[in-house]
Amino acid sequence: MISTNSTGEPALRIENLDKYYGTFHALRGINLSVKRGEKIVVCGPSGSGKSTMIRCINRLEQHNGGRIVVLGTELNDDVGNIDEIRREVGMVFQHFNLFPHMTVLENCVISSMIVRKQPRAQAEATARRYLEKVRIPEQALKYPSQLSGGQQQRVAIARALCMQPQIMLFDEPTSALDPEMVSEVLDVMVTLASEGMTMICVTHEMGFARRVADRVLFMDGGEILEEAPPDEFFTSSATSAPDNSCRRCWAIDWKQRSECVTPHAFRHLHD
Amino acid sequence: MEMVLVAPPAPGRLEDLKRRFFATPLQAVVSLACLTIMVFLVWKLLNWAVFSAVFTTSGGPEACQAAAGACWSVIAARWRIIFFGLYPYEEQWRSALACVAVVVMTVLSCIPAFWTGRRIALVWGAGTGLFYVLMKGGVLGLAHVGEEAWGGLALTLFIFVTTCLIGFPLAICLALLRRSELPWISRTTGLIIDGVRSLPLISILFTFAVVLPFALPQWLQGDKLYRVILGSALFFSAYQAEIVRGGMQGVATGQEEAAMALGMRYWQRISRILLPQAMRNAMPATINQFVISFKETSLVVIVGFFEILASGNAAYGTGEWRFAYVEVYAFIAFIYFIFVFSLSRYGAFLERRMSVSER
Ligand SMILES: Nc1ncnc2c1ncn2[C@@H]1O[C@H](COP(=O)(O)OP(=O)(O)O)[C@@H](O)[C@H]1O
Ligand SMILES: [Mg+2]
Repeated sequence: MISTNSTGEPALRIENLDKYYGTFHALRGINLSVKRGEKIVVCGPSGSGKSTMIRCINRLEQHNGGRIVVLGTELNDDVGNIDEIRREVGMVFQHFNLFPHMTVLENCVISSMIVRKQPRAQAEATARRYLEKVRIPEQALKYPSQLSGGQQQRVAIARALCMQPQIMLFDEPTSALDPEMVSEVLDVMVTLASEGMTMICVTHEMGFARRVADRVLFMDGGEILEEAPPDEFFTSSATSAPDNSCRRCWAIDWKQRSECVTPHAFRHLHD
Repeated sequence: MEMVLVAPPAPGRLEDLKRRFFATPLQAVVSLACLTIMVFLVWKLLNWAVFSAVFTTSGGPEACQAAAGACWSVIAARWRIIFFGLYPYEEQWRSALACVAVVVMTVLSCIPAFWTGRRIALVWGAGTGLFYVLMKGGVLGLAHVGEEAWGGLALTLFIFVTTCLIGFPLAICLALLRRSELPWISRTTGLIIDGVRSLPLISILFTFAVVLPFALPQWLQGDKLYRVILGSALFFSAYQAEIVRGGMQGVATGQEEAAMALGMRYWQRISRILLPQAMRNAMPATINQFVISFKETSLVVIVGFFEILASGNAAYGTGEWRFAYVEVYAFIAFIYFIFVFSLSRYGAFLERRMSVSER
């Protein structure tokens, strides 16, 4: 078991993380430390390496340099460590990735049953509790294809929570949703945050970042260019950043439309 | 006042026919001509197969040959050869029971309630075990009957079922190896699959039956029947592996990632997430492959086995019934039809059942 009483150890520590896709340098010396219960929002233009970074945390991508320590366990080639970390880290994807051949309830119980080896009755009780929490208990026996996008994403959150993880990763959980469904998902995430979950969210929802985040990270070109509490991030730095920088455009853009537009045109400024 | 809604009168059957087939004089003529030909053909066929046919063996081949219609007495006289081949006459009830065992096993394993690892293993273990004991004997007071004497429908079923039982898991293994991240594994597997697929089945059967004994030590050879089944299973698995791989390609990469993120191990991801979806995608092609394999069992005749088709040849081939080959082939075609048709209906049932959870 991962020890939960080592108070000094942060939930997540990333040191000098490097990641290459072939010869492409996708992450360049990332450093990040996340305390237990802390909420981090990661933003930045598309292709900046946000997904790559959070996918490294549960080894969906293998890093090439530096260290990642999750809940006191270092991520390396040790399969036992990887399994242990994946059990304790939940992830929610942009495209939900629910299992289409299983009902909502089966989606939620399967990992508790085969990974945590819980008996079905206990797994189902847990699943129903979390489905209640994401406010769709009545859909338990439907198949994912019978639900709306917002409902599917809430099931995906419940499915991750059923493993009772200590850290939750979100990779643009609302980007694939119709606008009217965004808030039902964000509401669930806000509730989760208020209950003290350690969260790392890649999102362009400014309102969510303001309300929930302890820190906002801005990434571009595989680096963390800025790291600040949301108030500071949204007010001062937008104006204090160099006039023609990507960061500035990005922040202004955010303020105006609070959603993502890719400023590819500015990429060269960082190279 | 009350409004009464009257639906326009639905066009009657007759009206509908008139509109479809007798709209213009030319159409009427063509329709009538077709109808006449059809009635004529159906009547001819029925007349041959039923009205003027001979069903009893009492008159012997001579009475039969004189009749204008089909000579079904050949079946009545020779059905034992068709079903059991050269299996000893007094023991043929065992062959019949063995056939029933295989059919029951197949039907049971087609029922969704039996689709758990333990139940399927139980059904298959019991089914093939029962078949083997019944056919081979030598225990429980049953007389020993060597594989060389097996034949007819029993042999066809045995070869088909064992080919699938060995070939199917092998196909899944090959498909999984082919998508391995290690290039030398995936390339080697690809080479094996493509190699086997580029050879004709006959040459594979011939190699396994006749050539292999020269290359293998005595204790490894086994009976010719089992070598032939292995060859046929290998051939089946090469094709089925590509079908399964196609099905796997249809599963979104996010599925496996989600399973990984939930902490599932490799085999858990494969068995719970990837394969169920891949097999669903591959279902129509898989049923097709089963049908083809069933019919290809008749090729074992070239290495000296009397499966149902070859037994049919023997059934009319002995002098007195020589004239009645059409009836024998019609009968065998009917047996093939029963099996293949049930297989494809079952495929349709599976597709309907699976479509419930899709999109
Ligand atoms: N599997 C991959 N193979 C090669 N390049 C990749 C792969 N995944 C991502 N990349 C590249 O890495 C960079 C960062 O991608 P990503 O982390 O997905 O960005 P973001 O999530 O910020 O939009 C992009 O330039 C992308 O093209
Ligand atoms: Mg991304």
